[in-house]
Amino acid sequence: MPKILVIEDDPDMVMALRIPLEANGYEVVSASSGKEGLQKVKEVEPDLIILDVMMETTTAGFQVSLQLRNPDPRSEYAAYRHIPILILTAIHTTTSLRFGPDEAYLPVDDFVDKPVDPDVLLEKVRTLIERSQKAS
Amino acid sequence: MVELEQILARLAEGARQVLQADAAMVRLLDEEDARLTVGAVSGLPAASWRQEPIAVEDSSLDEEALAGQPIIIADAGADCRVVGLPEGYRSVLCVPLMHENHPVGTLHVYATAPARFGEEDVALLMPLANLGAAAVVATRALTALEAMEASKAQFIRVATHELRSPVTVAQSLVRSVLKGYAGELTEKQTELLGRISRRLDFLENLINDLLALAAGKTPELAREEGPVVLNASIGRVMLLLQPRAEEKGLDVTFHPSHERLLVWGTEDGIDRIFVNLVSNAVKYTPSGGSVTISVRRVDGQAQVEVSDTGIGIPEEALPHLFEEFYRAPNAKAMEEVGTGLGLTIVKDLVERYGGCIEVESTVGQGTTFTVTFPLVDL
Repeated sequence: MPKILVIEDDPDMVMALRIPLEANGYEVVSASSGKEGLQKVKEVEPDLIILDVMMETTTAGFQVSLQLRNPDPRSEYAAYRHIPILILTAIHTTTSLRFGPDEAYLPVDDFVDKPVDPDVLLEKVRTLIERSQKAS
Repeated sequence: MVELEQILARLAEGARQVLQADAAMVRLLDEEDARLTVGAVSGLPAASWRQEPIAVEDSSLDEEALAGQPIIIADAGADCRVVGLPEGYRSVLCVPLMHENHPVGTLHVYATAPARFGEEDVALLMPLANLGAAAVVATRALTALEAMEASKAQFIRVATHELRSPVTVAQSLVRSVLKGYAGELTEKQTELLGRISRRLDFLENLINDLLALAAGKTPELAREEGPVVLNASIGRVMLLLQPRAEEKGLDVTFHPSHERLLVWGTEDGIDRIFVNLVSNAVKYTPSGGSVTISVRRVDGQAQVEVSDTGIGIPEEALPHLFEEFYRAPNAKAMEEVGTGLGLTIVKDLVERYGGCIEVESTVGQGTTFTVTFPLVDL
C-alpha cells in the first residue's frame, strides 16, 4: 500500500485529501508544519509527498521542497530526493498562469489547485507514484 | 518618490542665491508644532546639520516668524532673539514657511556683513518661502499616501489568503463527499451537496474577482508594468482554457499575429483580460459552437478580437455590460456561475494599459469583443 505524506497545516484540508486517498487504498500520514513534515519524511519514507505552500510562513512549503531537493550529496535529505512532490496551491490560478513545475525555481513534480478536485488529485497521485516506481 | 530632503536642500540653496547671501537654513516644525529640526542648510558647515531639535519657545526668532511675521535682524550679536547662530554671521533674515495659514517651518538667511537685509529682501524671499511650504506639505501628503497604498496592498494580500482558504477548504471537502469517496450518497443528498458546491464556487469566484478589482486599483501592486508579447499572453490563456472548451465540445481557434506585437502592461494583467474574455466566450457558447481569437495590427495599434457563436447579449444589456455586478438576463438564466465582475475587471485593466474595448453582439448568433492597445516600440 503506497504511503502518502500530507504536509498541510489546515486539518480540514488534510481531511479533504485523506477521504479520497484512503478510499483508494493509500495510507495517509499527515504533518501540520514544514518542520514536522521534514521530520516525518525521514520517519515514514513516503512514496509521495503532498505539500501546502503557506503554513507557518508564507513560503514554508517552498522551503520544504528546496530542502528535499537540495542537489548537494551531503544533504541530510539526499536519500529522499527521489520522492515525488505534489504541491497544493491556489497561487497558480489567482495570480499567475506561469507558475508550474520548474526545477530552477520550485523543485516539485506537479501541482493541484485549491479547491481540490478529488478525481484530479487521484489521477496526479497515481501518475507520479507510477512514474517514480518505474524510475527506481 | 520625491524626497523631502531634496526639496528642502533646493529651498535653502535657492534662498541663499536669490538674496546673494552667505548662508541659509531651513527649520521644519514637527507634527506637534512643538520642536524645530534642521531640514537643510546651504553655505554652512556640515556640523550645523546635526543640530539637536530645539523647542519652539527656546528660539524667539523662530517663534515670532512662525506667528507669520518676517524678521530682519541687522546685528545678531546685539539681538537676544537669536540662538544657535553659526559663528561669524551678523545679518539674519527669517521668514515663515506658511501653507494655508499654517506654519510648517522657517527659512533663515545669513550674511556676515551687518544690516545686510531690508524689506525688499523680504519681498524677494516670501514667494520662494510660500512655494517651499507648499512643496513640503505636498511631499508629506504624497509620502503618507504611498505608505497607505503599501498597507492597502499588504491588506489585499492577507485578505486573499484569509478569505479564500476557508472557502477552498470547504469546497474541497464537499467535492470529496459529493464524488462518493466518503460513502454512497442518496440522490437527494447528491442534489443538496451539488447546490452547496455551486454556492461555494460562486463565493470563490466572487472573492477572486473582488480581490482582482481591489488589486487593480492599488498602484503598489501594479509596479511591474512593462512590454508584454500579445501572442504569448493569448497562448498562455489558450493553454489554460482549451481543455475546458474541448470538454464542452467547442471549436477554439487562435490566429496569432504574424509579427511580434508588444503592448504595455503586466503579464498577469494582460493574461487576466483574455482569461476573462475567453472564459466568458466558452461559458456562454453552447456545445458545438466555436470561439475564435485573432491578434493583428490595425492602424498602428494592436487589436485582439474574441468572438463566439454563443447566446449573445441583448441590446438593452449592452450599456450595462461593464458595470460592477451586472449580468445580462440571458446569462443569469443559465446554469453557469458568474459574479458580474469579470468584464468590470477587463475594462479596468484595458483602460489602465491605455487601450479600449468594444463589443458587438446579436442574440442567438454570438458576440465579438474587440480590444485595442497602443503598440510599444522597442
